[in-house]
Amino acid sequence: MTMPVLPPGTDTGPAGATPPRPVHRLPFWVNQRLGLLVLVIGLSALFGVLQPAFLDARLVLFPLVRDVSTLTVVALAQMVVLSVGHMNLAVGRMAAFGALFAGFGYDRLDLPLPLGLLLCLLAGAAIGALTGWIITRTGVSSFVVTLAMDFALLGLVSLLYSALTENAAFTSRPSGLAELRSYSLADICVGPVCGSPVIPQLAQFTVLALVGLGFLYARTRIGRELLLTGANPAAAELSGIPTGRRLILAHTLSGLLAALAGFMAAVGTGTFRASIGDDFMLPSFLGSVLGGTLLTGGVVSVLGALLGTSLVGVIRKGLDLLGVGLESLNIYLGCVLLLALSADRVRTVVAHRKVVRST
Amino acid sequence: MNTIRDRRERGAAVLRRFSRSTTMTLLCVVLTGYLALGVASSGAFLEGPSIRTFLRYLATPVLIGLAQMVALCVGQLNLAVGALGGFTACLMGVLMADQGVPAGVAVAAGVLAATAIGLVTGLCIVATKINGFIVTLGTMTILQGAQYWLVGTRTVDGYSAGLKDLGRAAPLNVPLVFVTALAAAALLAAFLYRGTAGRRLLAAGGNPLAARLSGISTDRQIVLAHTLSGLLIGVAALTATASLPGVNRSVGGDWLLPSFAAPIIGGVALTGGSVAVLGTVLAAFVMRLIDAARAQFSLDPSWVNFLIGVVVLGTVVGGRIHQTHLEKRGGSRGRVPPAPPPNDPRPTAVLPHPGGSG
Repeated sequence: MTMPVLPPGTDTGPAGATPPRPVHRLPFWVNQRLGLLVLVIGLSALFGVLQPAFLDARLVLFPLVRDVSTLTVVALAQMVVLSVGHMNLAVGRMAAFGALFAGFGYDRLDLPLPLGLLLCLLAGAAIGALTGWIITRTGVSSFVVTLAMDFALLGLVSLLYSALTENAAFTSRPSGLAELRSYSLADICVGPVCGSPVIPQLAQFTVLALVGLGFLYARTRIGRELLLTGANPAAAELSGIPTGRRLILAHTLSGLLAALAGFMAAVGTGTFRASIGDDFMLPSFLGSVLGGTLLTGGVVSVLGALLGTSLVGVIRKGLDLLGVGLESLNIYLGCVLLLALSADRVRTVVAHRKVVRST
Repeated sequence: MNTIRDRRERGAAVLRRFSRSTTMTLLCVVLTGYLALGVASSGAFLEGPSIRTFLRYLATPVLIGLAQMVALCVGQLNLAVGALGGFTACLMGVLMADQGVPAGVAVAAGVLAATAIGLVTGLCIVATKINGFIVTLGTMTILQGAQYWLVGTRTVDGYSAGLKDLGRAAPLNVPLVFVTALAAAALLAAFLYRGTAGRRLLAAGGNPLAARLSGISTDRQIVLAHTLSGLLIGVAALTATASLPGVNRSVGGDWLLPSFAAPIIGGVALTGGSVAVLGTVLAAFVMRLIDAARAQFSLDPSWVNFLIGVVVLGTVVGGRIHQTHLEKRGGSRGRVPPAPPPNDPRPTAVLPHPGGSG
């Protein structure tokens, strides 16, 4: 695949400097994120009323927020590839792959906590870049390539764990890991003011990822180019965007975020083992798609990924506390996914008709 | 009027084309692999009991590969393959063991339920216009929950001995479940290659716009494909229930990845409009061979996943290299033969035999 390497003429200017206001804006209640926010708050309140234990900071909310932080990063990993119109089915396995390197670093190389995290991120980015490279070089659909990558990593990670460890898990913990796992903002005090006991320290990585991606997509040229590549690859190619490189970048970022999520999941459970990321695929799509990211590419919502994941997390936890069996939760979650998307579709169609009628 | 000479020439051309197809490569791989395994096990692998076991556990992969292939041929995906299969198998088991329903009725109910769920999935996709990927992701989640709700953590094994006997029966060392799978494949091939409905399905997958312009309802084809997919999964669940010692919540958990691997290795394009029934069956054979080899050399089960992943990646990359090579050769000859378009999604194995009555 040949791609023009020359940057487009300077006369185009930074994209999105002065966004032209759309003439007919859709009504505000079509905003998916607002609906999600209302749903998350409303459902939390409802569960809090039905089951007061839901608002227990230490036993319920703290683990809930920790899970949501991890799964938000997973959803972001999926969102980045969705933004270029691709998919990453290997998101869970890339997480396991990254966590394997972190565990290896701590166990064998006696690395300190930050260096192990760095190694983990590098490994994730490398495997993501390899995936992206295969996709761009062969031109085969990302679905197939990441599916095959999922197979290959599923086998490889288990093989490496059984080759490197006795009981298929790295258990040695560097100093600081236990603190990272159980400390919340309440343990950080500036003078007499302490943070909330609900927000875990692990959430710092999520905030970093959210801010970083938000900046990338909203403010930088590369972010715009990623979106254009997803919306219309041919047009992007013709307007001088190196689409191949942007695709590889998207997959690299996805691998990196997946590895970060793997690290967070490993810290959350305390051990580095092969089963990390087994159940990442569904939440990755749930979070990003509920948040308003389109599967066809070109539209992302960074904040939506957080809100979508929170909604799923709240529903899961709330139903669990109300005594719904942990596994039959899946029935409800699937229904929620389908209903939410159907409702969204209805809303868009109705709003569109209104706008059309008013013109 | 056809002279014998003409016929022979045409036959030779068909043979030549066949010898270069994915199917032929797969056939060679299967035969070599099987013989190599036979030699490596000093003949034990070529004896009756081994063949019986080999073929018995081949039935389900063949059927789920075909179920996925039908969805792929209209450009859809079915992520609910494993969940629907597991749910149906558990439904049959529970109906027979707990409710005392006779085996025949339970099996019919299970297959019908799977078909109905496929139909509902298709209708859901068409009615809401949500991407099929997301809809089947939703149904997958729902069905996994339903499967757990049916059986919980227990293993249901107290069901009809007759069905289990049928599952174990193997006249001439060919298990009945495998014959069932082959029969399903043959029927599907006849439907897709010879029937008008099958041609419509392929047309809708290959070029939805052109299909719509020529009077084919793509919506109806999508519903039909998902219904057929559900039916095939129902049959797969039947073979699984008959050949397994019991059903529990883990049935179907590892079906999703093989269901995609078989059609992809078999040469089906994910973009729709192409099918390769024989290729899919042979690809399931190859994967079963890898599994058998793993058992033969008592390796870690993880090797199977790793190897299948590498094989799929290799198929994908190799296919691309082969195509580029063909294009280059076509170009150097001065473009005398009409070179295939660069992104032709249809492999040769897809085209029906010339002269097939529609």
